[in-house]
Amino acid sequence: MKLADFQALFQRRILAGPGEEDGPLLDELRESQRGATRADLFHVYQWGYHARLESFFYEDHPGLRALLGDEAFETLIGEYVAANPPQCRNARWYTTGLPDYMRDHAPWRDDARALSMALLERAMVDAFDAPDAEPLALEALAGFAPEDSPRLVFAFHPSLFLLELPAGVLAHYQASAEEEDDAQEWEAVDDEGAVSEATEAVAVWRCKEETSYRELEPAEYVALCEAKAGRAFGEICQMAAFQQSGEIEPERLAQFLASWFQDGMVIGASLQG
Amino acid sequence: MQKPAPLGYGLGLRPIYYNEILSNRPPVDWFEIISENYMVAGGRPLSMLDAIRADYPMVMHGVAMSLASTDPLDFDYLAQLKALIERVQPAWVSDHVAWTGVHGYSLHDLLPIPYTKESLDHVVERISRVQDYLKRQLVVENASTYVSFISSEMSEQDFIREMAERADCLLLLDINNVFVSCFNHGYDPLAFIDGVPIERVVQFHMAGHTDYETHRVDTHDQPVCDEVWALYEHARRRFGDVSAMIERDDNFPPFSELLDELQRMRDIDAAIAAEKALSAA
Repeated sequence: MKLADFQALFQRRILAGPGEEDGPLLDELRESQRGATRADLFHVYQWGYHARLESFFYEDHPGLRALLGDEAFETLIGEYVAANPPQCRNARWYTTGLPDYMRDHAPWRDDARALSMALLERAMVDAFDAPDAEPLALEALAGFAPEDSPRLVFAFHPSLFLLELPAGVLAHYQASAEEEDDAQEWEAVDDEGAVSEATEAVAVWRCKEETSYRELEPAEYVALCEAKAGRAFGEICQMAAFQQSGEIEPERLAQFLASWFQDGMVIGASLQG
Repeated sequence: MQKPAPLGYGLGLRPIYYNEILSNRPPVDWFEIISENYMVAGGRPLSMLDAIRADYPMVMHGVAMSLASTDPLDFDYLAQLKALIERVQPAWVSDHVAWTGVHGYSLHDLLPIPYTKESLDHVVERISRVQDYLKRQLVVENASTYVSFISSEMSEQDFIREMAERADCLLLLDINNVFVSCFNHGYDPLAFIDGVPIERVVQFHMAGHTDYETHRVDTHDQPVCDEVWALYEHARRRFGDVSAMIERDDNFPPFSELLDELQRMRDIDAAIAAEKALSAA
C-alpha cells in the first residue's frame, strides 16, 4: 500500500470509526505481542483524538458548560467535533467556530443565552492573546486644544470586543467562573419573562496581560461602539440616540471617555482630518 | 553536521509554572517550549516567554510540522515558526517522525508510519526542504506508537539512523517513547537505543506514561517510572553529555517534584562519571 493510501485509511478510521473500508488497513497491522486487540490499539488514537479536541472546549467554555449542563454540553461539542475535523495546525483556534456552529444548527440556534455565552467566552479567549498595544494615558489629551475636542477620534486596543447579550449572561458567566451554582437566579429571571427581551452590554479586553470585562450601561455601549467605529467625539455627542434620551449630557460622555482611558482600552487619539 | 553544545538539565515550560519560574528563578539549566503555544499575536504567553527567555536558554519543540504527511508542506505554518525562531533564538528546533493529518486536516496527534523505503525517502525529502527553508538543522524525535505494520521493511532505529544521515539532521531521543513503543510492539528497547547514532543525538526527553497492562500510552501525566530511568542510564552511558529534560503536560505536580526528577538525572550522571573516573584511574 502506498503511504498516501495508508494515511487516508488511517485518518478515515480515526475520524469515522470502524467501517467496512478498514480491511486493507487492518491487514497492515502486526498482531500485538501482549494480547491487545487491533481495535484496542486503534482506540488509543481514536480516543486520544476526541479527548484532546473536547478538552479544548472544557478549557475555553466553562460558562457554556455550566449553563447547558454536562450532558447537553457533551452533546454539543461531540456534534461540533464530528462536523469539524480540525484544519488549523495550531490547536488554539479549534474552538473559535463554536458560536458560528451553534448559530447555524438546531437546537442550539434557538437558545439565545447559550449562544451569547459562547460568544462571550470566545471574546475572552480572543482577548487573551490578541496583538499587543500600549494603552494611552488620559493625560495625552492635554496635547490637544479644547476647541479641537469635537474632532478627536480614538484607536482602541486590538483585544477590545463589545457584545450585547441577553440579560443575566454575564452574571452566569461570573458565577461559573467562581464555580457557583446560580441556576435559581436563571429560573427567577425566566419567571419574570425578562430574558427574551432585556439585554446587557459587555466590554471584553486585555489590560496588563489579564483579560478584563465589565458591563456597560446602554448609553456607554452605544458611545463606545461608535468611537470604536471611528466616529469623532463631537459626532457622538450629536447622535440622535443621546439627544433623544434627554439624560446623556456631554459631561457624561466625557466621563465614559475617561473610564475608557483608565481601563486601558484606548491606545491612540488623533484629530479627524 | 554542526552539533550544538549541551545545555544541561531542562524542563518543559508550561503556563502553570510561569509565576514559580519568574519569582524564584529555579535551578533549571534551560527550558523547552511547545512552539505552537506561542504562535499567537500577543498577550501573556509571549510576554512570559520573553521574560523567561531573558534568564534561561531555550529550545523550541513543535508538534505540528507533520514531517511524514503526504500532504504538501505547510509554508504558512513554517513562516510562523520562522518568526518565532527569530524571537526566541533557540539553541535548536525540533519536531517528530510522525504525521498529523492529510487532505487538509490536522488531527493534533502524532500518527505512525510504516518504516518503508517509500516513507524514508518521503521524510528525508521533507526534512531537507524544511531545513533549507529555516536555514538551520532540524532536530527530529522518535514518537510513541501503538500500532506497527507488517509492511515495515526496517526497524524504527534503522529508519531513524538512515533518515538522520541522509537528511543530515540531528536527533532528539525520547527515552520514554522508546520504552512505550518497544513495550507495545514487543521490541528490545536497549537494541533500539544502541541502534541510534551517537553523533547525532543532541537531546533526551524523559516523561511518564500510563500502563494499560496490554499496552502503554504516552500521557506525560505521571512521574518517570523506574523502567524508563533504567533506560536513561543506559542511554547516558552510550551518548554521554547530551541535554536532557523532563516533559510534563497534565496532572501537574508542585514544581519541586520536577526539580527532584532533574536531580535524579544529575545523580545518575554523577554516578556514571565517578564510575568512569575510577575505572580510568
